Amino acid sequence: MSSAVCFPSVDWFERLANAMRKEVERFQELGTTDCTMVVKVDLGALGTRIYEIGFEGFEITEIRELSSLEQAKASHFVVEGSLEAWREMIENIRRNGAPDLEHTLNYLTLPDVPLRVSGPDQLEIDAFYRYNETIQRFFNGAAGIATRYERVAI
Amino acid sequence: MSAYSPVVEEGLERMLAMVRGDFDLSWMDSNPTGWGHRVQPGASGLGLRDVDTGAYGVVPEYGSSHGSMAPRGCFVPADTPSLGMYDLNEKATVWSDNAAMLYDEAVTRQWNSVTDVPWHKLQKLPDDIEKAVCQMCTNFTEVEFVAGDMPAKWLCHINHDFHEVKLFLATQIMDEARHMDVFRKRALANGGGLLMASPGNEALLAAILQAPNYTTASALMHIFGEGFILTLFRAGEFLAPTEVEKTIFRLCMQDEARHVAYGVKHLQYFVARHPEMMEEIHHILGLGEEAIFRLTLEPQTLEPRAILAGKGVENIQLGMTRLAFLYNKQITEYLQRLKIAGIDRLPRMKIPAELPALGPEV
Repeated sequence: MSSAVCFPSVDWFERLANAMRKEVERFQELGTTDCTMVVKVDLGALGTRIYEIGFEGFEITEIRELSSLEQAKASHFVVEGSLEAWREMIENIRRNGAPDLEHTLNYLTLPDVPLRVSGPDQLEIDAFYRYNETIQRFFNGAAGIATRYERVAI
Repeated sequence: MSAYSPVVEEGLERMLAMVRGDFDLSWMDSNPTGWGHRVQPGASGLGLRDVDTGAYGVVPEYGSSHGSMAPRGCFVPADTPSLGMYDLNEKATVWSDNAAMLYDEAVTRQWNSVTDVPWHKLQKLPDDIEKAVCQMCTNFTEVEFVAGDMPAKWLCHINHDFHEVKLFLATQIMDEARHMDVFRKRALANGGGLLMASPGNEALLAAILQAPNYTTASALMHIFGEGFILTLFRAGEFLAPTEVEKTIFRLCMQDEARHVAYGVKHLQYFVARHPEMMEEIHHILGLGEEAIFRLTLEPQTLEPRAILAGKGVENIQLGMTRLAFLYNKQITEYLQRLKIAGIDRLPRMKIPAELPALGPEV
């Protein structure tokens, strides 16, 4: 029986948050982070799954699943893409311990494909750039998470 | 005749009086309303916003007229001399509601080019790629410290009651020092060197440094200049041939986004109180737009990125096509930031909002 955690899920992001807590000193080196990131995963015919992750100071303050973007905090940015794009990024991190040159969040989002950053206004989108190293390190925690990818209907 | 001046003589007499037990101690009760202040550190430490509460957090619309460096909230003796240099005394001319927050963030997010960049991962690159990286770094070394010189020029004009802004701008100067340093370092670190300066960039830098007042300088630098550079830093990370450049650009990107955040919120604060200044702001943005578009005429500015995007000089044309989206992204984000500040720039923009397709999609 596998102990792999399903992506996307609250559990999976909780594992990332736990990984962050375990190496809090490394995150403190990067400085405080105050933003809300929404991760949107397109599951094709099965719709989308949306997760809100709150960063405050050196901690993750909240992880929750949303039924629509309207439920997100007013101040947030969205990183969205297909399950396949997320899967490729996560598997690349798992293989290398960190993303290679072509799988960093910035690399994947700059041309708006395969991932895309959006938000209610430009300053919210800019928060993705402002805290990019922290957000990247947060996702790098995926290196230690056995992950399975199931297309679970909502 | 005394060997000392009257001031020194008076000081010596005062010291002798203190030795005899004649102390004044009036300073201990000089600020009764400001005494007994309590603070509550936040989860991530004691920030500027945690201490500037109550009366200490009240920022006046016009800074104190004493013209000294006396800190906001203290008792200022009547004979405190003015330094005669603080003439940015209206809050709206410098203020941004996020300045204190950005200062706290900046001081915790400092990094250094000595130990935070994995220099040991530098590797021998093909000549054309190394030259492209070095030219890009030459450009950034040249332009980055304008965002240090500009705040430095205005800092000694800003009333000390607006210390949140002064402190934030001081962090920006350090950020830019780091940027100038790290790009120079990268150019010199891998068997290459600095290449060609950019006369075209100098026109934009001059417009920033010679702007007639702080707010127009800030609009041109924080929003226009640093907004455009922010996208170029993102592009630098995207095009980076090794983990070294990747790290440099990611770290610089974060700093630049903080500066942009200050600029947008300052312009928003200013324009809401000085709509009559809108024309002057439009004028300087127009100067910046034309200046930056002239850079397209400079091979040393555009071609290195095209080489990196094409992964070699033999594919430079392909690289140019691949990079076309960057300009459109720069303009879209620029216009959106100005919109937050309360400025509709699109109808007055002096350069195209979108570039025509530069070639077939690849």
